[in-house]
Amino acid sequence: MGMKEWKFRGNRDLKTASAFSIKRVLDDVKRNLDQSDGRPIIPLSHGDPSSFSCFRTTQVAEDAVVDALRSAKFNGYAPKGGSLQARRSIAEYLSRNLPYKLSSEDVYVTLGAKQAIEVVLSVLSRPGANVLFPRPGYPAYEAHAVLNHLEVRHFDLLQEKGWEVDLNGLESLVDDKTVAMVIINPGNPCGNVFTCDHLQKIAETARRMGILVIADEAYAHLTFGTNPYVPMGIFGNIAPVLTLGTLSKRWLVPGWRLGWIARNDPDGIFEEHGVVECIKRSLNTNTEAATFIQAAVPQILENTTDDFFVKTINTLREDADMCYEWLKDIPCFTCLEKPQGSLFLMVKLDFSQLQGINDDMEFCSKLAKEESVLLLPGFVLGLKNWVRVTFAIEPSALEDGLARIKSFCMRHANKQSNRDICLLI
Amino acid sequence: MENGNMKMETPTNVTIKGILGMLMANLDDDDEKKRRVISLGMGDPTAFSCFTTTCVAENAVVDALNSQKFNGYSPTVGLPQTRRAISEYLSIDLPYKLSPDDVYITAGCTQAIEVAISILATPNANILVPRPGFPIYDLCAAFRNVEIRHFDLLPDNGWEVDLDAVDALADENTVAIVVINPGNPCGNVYSYQHLKKIAETAKKHKIVVIADEVYGHLAFGPNPFVPMGVFGSMVPVLTLGSLSKRWIVPGWRLGWFVTTDPNGIFKNAKTVERLKKYFDICGGPATFIQAAVPQILKETSDAFFARTLGILKHTSDLCVKKIEDIPCLTCPTKPQGSMAVMVKLNVSLLKDINDDIDFCFKLAREESVILLPGLTVGLKNWVRITFAAEPSSLEEALERVKNFCHRHSYEPKGSFSLIQD
Repeated sequence: MGMKEWKFRGNRDLKTASAFSIKRVLDDVKRNLDQSDGRPIIPLSHGDPSSFSCFRTTQVAEDAVVDALRSAKFNGYAPKGGSLQARRSIAEYLSRNLPYKLSSEDVYVTLGAKQAIEVVLSVLSRPGANVLFPRPGYPAYEAHAVLNHLEVRHFDLLQEKGWEVDLNGLESLVDDKTVAMVIINPGNPCGNVFTCDHLQKIAETARRMGILVIADEAYAHLTFGTNPYVPMGIFGNIAPVLTLGTLSKRWLVPGWRLGWIARNDPDGIFEEHGVVECIKRSLNTNTEAATFIQAAVPQILENTTDDFFVKTINTLREDADMCYEWLKDIPCFTCLEKPQGSLFLMVKLDFSQLQGINDDMEFCSKLAKEESVLLLPGFVLGLKNWVRVTFAIEPSALEDGLARIKSFCMRHANKQSNRDICLLI
Repeated sequence: MENGNMKMETPTNVTIKGILGMLMANLDDDDEKKRRVISLGMGDPTAFSCFTTTCVAENAVVDALNSQKFNGYSPTVGLPQTRRAISEYLSIDLPYKLSPDDVYITAGCTQAIEVAISILATPNANILVPRPGFPIYDLCAAFRNVEIRHFDLLPDNGWEVDLDAVDALADENTVAIVVINPGNPCGNVYSYQHLKKIAETAKKHKIVVIADEVYGHLAFGPNPFVPMGVFGSMVPVLTLGSLSKRWIVPGWRLGWFVTTDPNGIFKNAKTVERLKKYFDICGGPATFIQAAVPQILKETSDAFFARTLGILKHTSDLCVKKIEDIPCLTCPTKPQGSMAVMVKLNVSLLKDINDDIDFCFKLAREESVILLPGLTVGLKNWVRITFAAEPSSLEEALERVKNFCHRHSYEPKGSFSLIQD
């Protein structure tokens, strides 16, 4: 009895959607790892530093969850949209950095930022609609856009301008079916942090175009450079904003799956246009974050002390500086911007400096094989022949990794260039 | 300016929580007697102190959290130890061994339902769903543009599936049939023979069975719980389950989607790839809760399970007994499992009540008791009563229901009636 006789078939959309998956690309890169290499693998490719002891969450957070669990009061279902206490405390937390107060009604708790992306895109789905995503970007957006039958158009981030949004390019993409644009700030994968002025320009552009802004702020507060973190929500009176956030990055607990959607819309435009109702309906079909983790949120947001945040930032700064310093001296890397936030930077491969390597996937595959170092090829993020480097690991491991990358690049250097370097010494 | 997605208008904006929320809003804040609200509306007994989880489960989660090893992302299909533990747990009741690869960890059974519908969603596909049933199926299907067709469960026949209706509804676009056993909302536990007939019917129509076994093992009547996977070699079965009900922790959001398909009809390489891709895109449950599962499945004592079943049997008996004393309510089939029972409302015996919605709203207002109108689960003029409650609360609630019914009943001709207030 073969498959042909049975009437079920798989959902074809999933095939298309999954082309946009960092995990899949990394699995392919990892296949090249040499099992006989006795050295530890240096993962500069992930988005999850929690496995490194220098990136451990605060005891406050762990205690808060244990307390909630042991109380035995939070084993039941939470209300759809999140428990009131969680929503209220997230509203208060976000309001600290806004010129107006959010209420609990403006906040929805989600199963990590991933579900926040899922909900927000499902809400925008209508026949023929298109959405604007940054390039390079975060492929989960593309994947959910496909599942929701939304057309995707990409605007560029301009490396030569510190990865700012190409606003002219963006405007030229907009038509009467465009519904929203996404910005990721602090930036994944570029490590940039937008200035207040630039965020305002984005808001003004969105307003002119009549579209809403989805501000992915998963890396909020994780800045260590000159630009401070400014929430897009402060311009919510210019263009309505849906801010996505999570405990995952700032508290180093991506496995806890606690995120949120916040409506920054003091003029009530979302309510007027049925978006609020749709968010509620989308949440009705969706599953949610564990009730006792939601119950721990107020304690976590209110009681985490600054020294925990400062420690994380200091480690990230040390890593970011080290990464930048090493990479800038390696000839095959160009267009390197000093990272200002998040866990990543993007760097371009100069193939004229390399021999026998022709694209980003080949570079990363050979690097994995020869040096047991993992980088993410940029094509999956929309920038072929760039690579994303995650610097957020133990500093000593990072140093080891960077040394191996340098050694790899020298070994594969274009012999002409090598000769030139020798002459300079 | 853009508008949100308005494609799901009717009837798929009905949810149990939504209706219960509306009923709660209708409570009388000035209840003279200041009686407490008793809700028998939701399948969540944690509000009652007699229903607590085992400390084995709590300790396992605390251990996992304190280990500091599970704060990061898990593999998108779930932690390998969790998959293995669940495959072993389910295999105990099956004539074949499941592999850990058959098991996908989901955030509660709700997400398992989402997975099942998403993976089968193709243009023009339809899925057969029981009535009365569980509204999440209708909601998920609407979101994924899958047509839902309802077949009846037969109240006078132990709420068994109307297999003739299934035959009539299935066509070349039908891809699956959903079976909820032990049953929600009806409290039925199907016999082996009936499950076999369902499997044979599914096979005849070449469709898979989605076996919603969220209430798995919660059977306290004459029929034992038989997992649909027992017939997995006859017809591919997708088994959905979770810790929520048997361990009384619905808020933990730990469920599973399992391919109980020993002949590999459904789980061919292509479909498995698609399943993995789905999980890559959508997030799963908290890693440390996943990590606790092996300990929970291995070390929970039989005494804990027996205790829960004992309370459920007691309260279901209590419920049925009290219903017998209320003329406008009839219970055609005594519940054998799960946590709720469907009870028929005879509106003609009530003088100013129009239907089940009217009944439940007025009951909430006048007596501070919450029952679920049957329309929510697909049966107008029925009511779902969750008997998984503290016995004394259940007793008091049903006493108030009795008084309510009496007050709203037509007086018998020629008799002097004492109306209690």
